[in-house]
Amino acid sequence: MDITVFVQNFLNGLSIGTVYAIFALGYTIVFSILGIINFSHGAIFTLGAYFTYFLIGGLNNGSGILANAGLPFGLPFVLAILVGSLMAGFCGVLIERLAFKPLRTRGADPLLALVSSLGVALVIVNLVQYLIGAEILSFPSNVFGEFVNQNPSINFNFVDPSRPIPIRTVQIIIFAVSLVILVLLAYLINRTKFGKALRAVAENPITASLLGVSVDRYIFLTFLLSGFLGGLAGTLVGTSFSISGPYFGVTYGLKGLAVIVLGGLGDIPGAVLGGLVIGLAEAFVPGDFSAYKEAVAFALLFIILLVRPQGLLGRRLIQKV
Amino acid sequence: MPMLEIAGLSVNYGGIQALVDFNLHINEGEVVTLIGSNGAGKTTTLRAISRVIRTKSGTIQFNGKDITRSEASSVVSAGIAQSPEGRQVLARQSVYDNLEMGAYIRNDRKGILEDIELQFNRFPRLRERKAQMAGTLSGGEQQMLAIARALMSRPKLLLLDEPSLGLAPLIVREIFGIIAQLHAQGVTILLVEQNAKIALQHADRAYVLEAGRVVLEGDAKELANNERVKQAYLG
Ligand SMILES: Nc1ncnc2c1ncn2[C@@H]1O[C@H](COP(=O)(O)OP(=O)(O)OP(=O)(O)O)[C@@H](O)[C@H]1O
Ligand SMILES: [Mg+2]
Repeated sequence: MDITVFVQNFLNGLSIGTVYAIFALGYTIVFSILGIINFSHGAIFTLGAYFTYFLIGGLNNGSGILANAGLPFGLPFVLAILVGSLMAGFCGVLIERLAFKPLRTRGADPLLALVSSLGVALVIVNLVQYLIGAEILSFPSNVFGEFVNQNPSINFNFVDPSRPIPIRTVQIIIFAVSLVILVLLAYLINRTKFGKALRAVAENPITASLLGVSVDRYIFLTFLLSGFLGGLAGTLVGTSFSISGPYFGVTYGLKGLAVIVLGGLGDIPGAVLGGLVIGLAEAFVPGDFSAYKEAVAFALLFIILLVRPQGLLGRRLIQKV
Repeated sequence: MPMLEIAGLSVNYGGIQALVDFNLHINEGEVVTLIGSNGAGKTTTLRAISRVIRTKSGTIQFNGKDITRSEASSVVSAGIAQSPEGRQVLARQSVYDNLEMGAYIRNDRKGILEDIELQFNRFPRLRERKAQMAGTLSGGEQQMLAIARALMSRPKLLLLDEPSLGLAPLIVREIFGIIAQLHAQGVTILLVEQNAKIALQHADRAYVLEAGRVVLEGDAKELANNERVKQAYLG
């Protein structure tokens, strides 16, 4: 492979891989606290993208009952993405209160939580279809400011500019944003009192409450954070490509599952590594086979699980007698 | 007025009655021990006080305040800390972070650092291992950490659940040395033990629990000479 193509694929893979990572971390933190997989996380991804789209003043060109509707104002993109992701976070909290908490307080099997979150995902998809419609919504090309509009790509061959390695500016921006979020998250979880308490709740909720940690509050915050990460990832992917309709988050939802299983269920560095591995693997799919790109994550998952059933960084499950 | 007063407490697990019409009180500065064999309901009592299980009936008053329906976290804030059965250290956090987590309800950074230092002086082995993951400590070290962690919230009442469990006699003596020290410093303690001998030696008063009911109570020294106690628990 030509070195310039290699570098280009590598950088693009890195960019989408970090987005997968922050999305997958949303699954991971919920899993590590409650031991459940929140199947509505893909729908949260979709919601985040829609929220941001409307918050910047985008109009609904879909055919749902809100056809041609839009907000009477438009927020600057940076603000919109924060507010939109936060709204997605509160949707996550709502889902926890409606779909998970009632089951948990009755001591139901975790498998039921999985089913109820799948139900929530279907409701959200159908609601979006009903209200907005199934059409593609595209973010304006200048959401990141005129700079991006005028420079749709940047040449990354700093050594020999005559052999260009063009990377779309939006890829660079989503990489930068995701990276900042990953660093903040690592700091939050490893260094702050919040993170230590969160890990205590994940390890043993009863012990955590004996130390004075309000477990209920941390579950609330976990879903808020998880939803925020999901909504942010959805927005970033939406600006990079477009919002493909109510089912936008479904493939990403499944891919995110592949990422966390690949990295090791419940393992935070594992989710980041898994995201990067899958992002990079996809970026190196040759053009002729691009139709199979979506299958790469699962093929990779299959192969790696054959060798390491606990995932790349996962702890081997101790057999309980 | 006693510091802790439990009246008519009953706890069920499904159909099993773990505590039946249970009464207990602790005065400030006392070390009170609750002894009894496996399954008597000792851990259940501590869980009920710390509000991590539901109680069926009865009341728990702490310093005159009814905490029977309080959140577990506000019981800690009210001044009750527990070193639970099986130690339950945070295995994937360092010794130091475990101590910090013990001070979760506090915000006085300086005081917390001083108290960590105090625990390290009390348990020098923890200082040597402060960066080590708590899960890799020995059983005795984990027990020391669990007690130190509970002390980090500066509790008015310390609940200890079987600190001697599974430890070598030498370590047990070390741990009870610390309990005696805490007693001398005026810390109020509710000590749950299966090792009745050492518990009665270190306590002011004692309760004997059988199948969820208090069958004997009184001065610890007197109970240690009680024929029934001698036969059943000191044999
Ligand atoms: N989570 C639970 N579910 C059902 N039954 C329980 C539960 N926890 C305790 N029990 C039952 O309640 C009774 C009292 O248990 P508890 O743990 O309080 O005993 P204990 O005195 O602490 O015993 P040990 O000395 O063995 O620790 C026992 O019969 C026990 O089987
Ligand atoms: Mg017990």
